[in-house]
Amino acid sequence: MSGPASSPVLELRDVTRVHGEGEAAVQALRGVSFAAYAGELVAVMGPSGSGKSTLLTLAGGLDTPTSGVVSVEGVDLAGAGAVGRARMRRTSLGYVFQDFNLIPALTAAENVALPLELDGRSGREARALAREALAEVGITELADRFPDHMSGGQQQRVAIARAVVGERRLVLADEPTGALDTETGEDVLRLLRARCDAGAAGVMVTHEARHAAWADRVVFLRDGVVVDETGADHVESLADATAQR
Amino acid sequence: MSRLLTAWRLPLRLARRDAMRHRARALLVVAMIALPVLAVTTADVLIQTATVSGPESVDRRMGASQALVSVSAETNPLQQAPDPDVGYPVFSGDTTLTAPSAEQVSSLLDGARLVELRRTVGQVVTEAGRVGAQALEVDLADPVADGLVRLTSGRLPRSDGEVVVNDALVADGFRVGDRLGFEVGSEVAGGATEPVVVGTAESTTYRDLPFVAGPLGSLGLDSDEQTQWLVDGGPVTWPSVQRLNELGALVASRAVIEDPPPASEQYAEVRAQSGTDEGLLPVLALITVMVLLEVVLLAGPAFAVGARAQQRSLALMVASGGTPAQSRRVVLAGAVVLGGTGAVVGVLLGLGLARLLQPVLQGFSQTWFGPFDVPWLHLLAVAAFGLLSAFLAAAVPAVLASRQDVVAVLAGRRGDAPASRRSPVLGAVLLAAGIGASAYGALQPSGGELAIAFGAIPAVLGMILLVPAVLSLVARGAGRLPLTLRYAVRDAHRHRTRTVPAVAAVAATVAGVVALGIGLSSDQREAEETYVSSVADGVGVVRAYEQPARWDALRGAVEREAPGVQVVVQQGLTDSDGGYTSVQRPEGAGFISAGSALGSMVLVSDGPLPPGLVGLSDADARRAEQALGDGRSVVFTGPGVRVDDGEATVVRSTFDEQTGQDQTLARVTLPATYLPLSDPYDGPSAILTPAAAAELGQEPSVVSLLVTGGLDGDQEDTVQEALKGVDPSASIYVERGFQPESDALIAQLVLLGLGGVLMLGGTLTATFLALSDARPDLATLAAVGASPRTRRGVAAAYALVVGGIGSVLGALVGSIPGVAVTWPLTSSPGFGGGGPTGPFLDVPWLMLLALVVALPVLTALVVGASARSRLPLVSRLD
Ligand SMILES: Nc1ncnc2c1ncn2[C@@H]1O[C@H](COP(=O)(O)OP(=O)(O)O)[C@@H](O)[C@H]1O
Ligand SMILES: [Mg+2]
Repeated sequence: MSGPASSPVLELRDVTRVHGEGEAAVQALRGVSFAAYAGELVAVMGPSGSGKSTLLTLAGGLDTPTSGVVSVEGVDLAGAGAVGRARMRRTSLGYVFQDFNLIPALTAAENVALPLELDGRSGREARALAREALAEVGITELADRFPDHMSGGQQQRVAIARAVVGERRLVLADEPTGALDTETGEDVLRLLRARCDAGAAGVMVTHEARHAAWADRVVFLRDGVVVDETGADHVESLADATAQR
Repeated sequence: MSRLLTAWRLPLRLARRDAMRHRARALLVVAMIALPVLAVTTADVLIQTATVSGPESVDRRMGASQALVSVSAETNPLQQAPDPDVGYPVFSGDTTLTAPSAEQVSSLLDGARLVELRRTVGQVVTEAGRVGAQALEVDLADPVADGLVRLTSGRLPRSDGEVVVNDALVADGFRVGDRLGFEVGSEVAGGATEPVVVGTAESTTYRDLPFVAGPLGSLGLDSDEQTQWLVDGGPVTWPSVQRLNELGALVASRAVIEDPPPASEQYAEVRAQSGTDEGLLPVLALITVMVLLEVVLLAGPAFAVGARAQQRSLALMVASGGTPAQSRRVVLAGAVVLGGTGAVVGVLLGLGLARLLQPVLQGFSQTWFGPFDVPWLHLLAVAAFGLLSAFLAAAVPAVLASRQDVVAVLAGRRGDAPASRRSPVLGAVLLAAGIGASAYGALQPSGGELAIAFGAIPAVLGMILLVPAVLSLVARGAGRLPLTLRYAVRDAHRHRTRTVPAVAAVAATVAGVVALGIGLSSDQREAEETYVSSVADGVGVVRAYEQPARWDALRGAVEREAPGVQVVVQQGLTDSDGGYTSVQRPEGAGFISAGSALGSMVLVSDGPLPPGLVGLSDADARRAEQALGDGRSVVFTGPGVRVDDGEATVVRSTFDEQTGQDQTLARVTLPATYLPLSDPYDGPSAILTPAAAAELGQEPSVVSLLVTGGLDGDQEDTVQEALKGVDPSASIYVERGFQPESDALIAQLVLLGLGGVLMLGGTLTATFLALSDARPDLATLAAVGASPRTRRGVAAAYALVVGGIGSVLGALVGSIPGVAVTWPLTSSPGFGGGGPTGPFLDVPWLMLLALVVALPVLTALVVGASARSRLPLVSRLD
């Protein structure tokens, strides 16, 4: 477990998010504080509706908190403005969703190059970097394929490649294995793990304790509140327990 | 520039791929952009081709010569446009010149050789009578005449006893070796010139008008009034033209027409006169705006659905750091790709279609078209227009796409922006402004059409803004409708971004059709109501202007060509001796006539009325005959004006040129019966007894032949030609009552057809798009046991909702300018105090019913029949 001595890549301080107003108001998160450091993979677990996805969208700046502070690499996302948050998504952090991660009209390489192209990098440079990223996830040969000609696992690999392409140091994954069979899911998790070992910070929402075993830490959410936080050791035993079942 | 390219590279790639992935939708948009572009391109190219521009006309005007110089017998120094056929020359009135001689002209042109040319319209004597013909006299063998005619068979004339004729005269029976009788004006040449036809040649100007050409003297043309020369020499410069102008000569110079002098060197006064047609510009602008609006509305839904299908892609882009501007650009890039393709395809197909139609159109024209003319600059503008319309159609979907709730879309939910509360208010304001403009235009004494036409723009825009409000109104009342209709209504309301433009497109179309339809049929109604027969239906009137007329021969010609008809010889007083007869009525008798259709204002009869006299009641007709029989003359009064029998004063007078005053030759007072004519302005003024005419010192003469017994159209044509054969100035007019112009009916049908096509297009797009959007809902319906036919039902219901709401709204909005325009269009001052003055309003109810009821139902049936009946089982967004 990385020491808290170094500054966190992602930090949430007393974050609240209320959806809607009046009687229809829903408290998705209530006072969540949480940090992820370079080199560690954090799993976020909790029942459906507990606020896991909300936490990730806040972390990625797709949404802003009702109160509290979200910062990435020391930058307060709320203060960065919409344009600044978009730039952060192009250069500092990447998303992986459960499925339909790829733009169907773009090839694998083009999907990976997307953040770079959006950032105004030259086409050649973007493609070169994209190929590197594809090589890292081991599917260089799929570079020119369109998403409809790839399996779900391949698509998730491309999505991971896109999330890490360039120098980005925060990977946010919302149930990245949810639509995959067990074995393929393991592959995807291995990739995420490797990326964190190489120095990135990862936050992964998952349902399954077995998957949480790949993480350094697990954060449990219930009704928008962090109810428990365990270290890696506990995670191991958790995984054993599920494996026995 | 490179930054711009970088910014658009990704969006364009996405748009291109998206178009390839959704070919049906892409094709739809391309077709909607391409069709108007195609239509305008075809029309433009054909118009440009049919129009013979100055430089294009040079060869047919002056052959191979350098210039055509025209001088009149009496002339003034003049100022002309570079091309004398454009506008009118300005003459300075102070000094009257005699026509410059050939030597004078030649010396101003460095001694160029001049070849005289004469042109006129005359008559060729045919077997059946006479036909008008274009005639040309020039030495066709001279190289400078090359290009005036095209020899098609035989040879060119070698002496002034020889001519060539064109196919139109060959069709009249002339062959090589025949003699051809030719007359200029009404002077019967009497065999003075009867040249021999030695070949056939087509004029390079006239296509199917009779045409004859030969050397000077061959046709007996004179140059008393005007002399023309072809110039064989060096190019005639603008300064030379101006020097000739000072001598009173008008010059069409090849060099000047092909390369006009700069405006600064042209005559200011002539330039000022030949301004562009200013009335045309606003009309063109109006048409452009309306077509643009229509295309935008038709293509809008496709872009709305395209953007919706792309919403996940756009959300992923945002998650990867894309900005709203980049999202907008992706949707707009679709417009660039599809609009660009549509524009290019439209222009190319339009060019092809124009090429195909060129010979067809040429077949309808009496003159030869110029060369196939591609106005590239226009076409560029037309293509840009296509692109612009696509861009505008994509604008709203693009903005909405950039504002979508990314988190919701990523979570698999849909996020439509709530309806604006301000737009219905703005819509009502615009609609009111449109109505105001229409009312203003209707009340203008003249020129109100423009205000009404431009008022239609805010009215239609206002209506578009009101469509969402109407949709929600309909949706609220949908509770009792059957399931499919209820679903369609509610879905249409929920997905306003695609429904509104579709409904608006249908509405705008219907509005246009209804407005034009009401205008057209009211115009027809006016023509019908204000039509006044000159004589009774079916009666023919033969008149001849050349004196003395050969009435017996004319009568013989009629009886020979139309056996079975009755011919009545009508007597009257003529003004052939320079005198004229006027009848003085009591004050207030209110008789105004524009001239009698029966040959003279003052007829003479000892009893019977002229057959075909209109405007007299039966009782009055009997009284008239009685009066004439009793030796009383009949004098007509204005409509409904009763004057007691009494006396009338008839004056025979002549105009004295010396004093400039009328001089009375005879004045008599006669016993007269006054009778009103209901439609006075083609009627005679009075019918005198022969005795009364004698008292005036006038011998009645024949003024017309009245033909009764029903001449049909073919007989009328043969009688006409036979009459011309006897006397070129004679003609027959057969009254056939009001003939509804077939053009008007055709225009209505075309309008209806166009409206139908556009409505079908708008409805089909919207329905097709709605169905692909409704997949998840249909899957849910299938899951709860809906039959596969439900899909068809939903499709038909959706089409009915879009078409029905659209056409009702459109009919309402279109009737505003439609009704308003009948004021300026159909109000007439009315003649002679009588007759209806309008405005006339005729609402074409049948057409309206067809538009509002039949077309939407038909469209719904077509849509229902063509929709696939399979229900989707999975419910996934792209
Ligand atoms: N846009 C929204 N509007 C209203 N409620 C929302 C919205 N987004 C999420 N919620 C609610 O917030 C709570 C947390 O949602 P979410 O973060 O998606 O939970 P999880 O991912 O853990 O299932 C849920 O009760 C959900 O219904
Ligand atoms: Mg979730």
